[in-house]
Amino acid sequence: MAFRRPSNRGDDAEFTRAALSHIDSLYGLALRLTRRAADAEDLVQDTYLKAFRAAHQFEPGTNLKAWLFTILHNTFRNNRRHDGRNPVDVDSEAVERAANDGAADQSPEQILSRQTLDADLQAALDALPDSFRQAVWLRDVEELSYAEIARVLDVPVGTVMSRISRGRRALSEGLQARRARASAPAVRMGSRGRG
Amino acid sequence: MADEIKKCGDLDERLAPFVDGEDTPDDRARVAAHLADCPPCLHQVDAERSARDIVREHRDALSAHAPEALRARCTAALGGGSSSAFRRPASVLRKWAPLSLAATLVLAVAGVFVFGLNNRVEALAASLAVDHVKCFKVSGAEARTDAVTAAQKWQQDNGWAVAVPPADPAEQLQLLDVRRCFSTDGRAAHMMYTWRGAPLSLYVLPEDIGRDQVVRKMGHDAVIWCANRRTYAVVADGQSPEDLTRVVAYMKANAK
Repeated sequence: MAFRRPSNRGDDAEFTRAALSHIDSLYGLALRLTRRAADAEDLVQDTYLKAFRAAHQFEPGTNLKAWLFTILHNTFRNNRRHDGRNPVDVDSEAVERAANDGAADQSPEQILSRQTLDADLQAALDALPDSFRQAVWLRDVEELSYAEIARVLDVPVGTVMSRISRGRRALSEGLQARRARASAPAVRMGSRGRG
Repeated sequence: MADEIKKCGDLDERLAPFVDGEDTPDDRARVAAHLADCPPCLHQVDAERSARDIVREHRDALSAHAPEALRARCTAALGGGSSSAFRRPASVLRKWAPLSLAATLVLAVAGVFVFGLNNRVEALAASLAVDHVKCFKVSGAEARTDAVTAAQKWQQDNGWAVAVPPADPAEQLQLLDVRRCFSTDGRAAHMMYTWRGAPLSLYVLPEDIGRDQVVRKMGHDAVIWCANRRTYAVVADGQSPEDLTRVVAYMKANAK
């Protein structure tokens, strides 16, 4: 079964080259979703195989990277379903609580210094529910538009905006919590030593 | 979205565009008016904005770099050509591969560099050994076809005829697929079989490379022979020399 006619072999080569140029982005999203390098690699490979089978469905002139993300997202969700795990672990209420329970007496600027450790940030991102993490990642790391993210995740644009906002606030909260945990023991040890 | 903001919850879908500066002036004014009167919501906006800024500032550190092995695997899989459907790697096939695909590709590239200029047959054998591993990884074991249909389809798609040796249930020889291969610039017909449960490849090139020989590459013996202006090669997994001779004889008899 050919996915293109042989006369389009030049187009195939061009499509292949263009699609492979996004491999870092695909791998990055796959890592954020699976959190395991081996699973992320399998997910990326599956995504490419599916993308080439469906290459004729891609509309030239639209965002190829976003289209590849869509396939990756669906593949991940289907794999999850077959694994018998919950396809999307959104606990909106928990996130809502977390996002609203902020340390209201301190400004985020005071707590989150610009030198946030990458490791802290990675961990805080990974702690977000899948759907929030994906929305924040596609927006702030991959710089997709709200409409593109809506297509990738197959949800309304309003939902995308809500998830981005809640995801960012939960991330802020998670970073603050990490910062507080990291600094607390040092303070205790210091005061005990001098007391 | 010019709805009135009556309560804090109405901000839910408006904060991201507000923080990103992508809302309409109308919406922006409404949100700003609410924030002026509502310190908790203002605090939320500050939290959202700082998280957004931090992620964006750390974008490079957060971005991943795909491992070279993955890059090679995907490149190889996609180069596999336009004449075959790609299928999910079947787990039953994974355990057959004696080397990881990535390791094989690295060896193959090295092989082509080492042998490519000096010895064309060595380079060919290396390239066939790679395709042997790669195509079985990419194609599924369920992809059965019959020899007559596969031969007709090959001629239709590629313009030259091949004789496809049929399956032989008595010998536990099954035909999976006939596809065009990447490493030989798409020239070779790759007939994929399982023989006694293990992958076996028969390749046909539309040219005579002028010599018969057995070349061992990457743990696979490539048995190469030439006849009627074609070059044929059998690459199989884990067969003893005697068994290999037997299946090669079958292929020689049926591939003419």
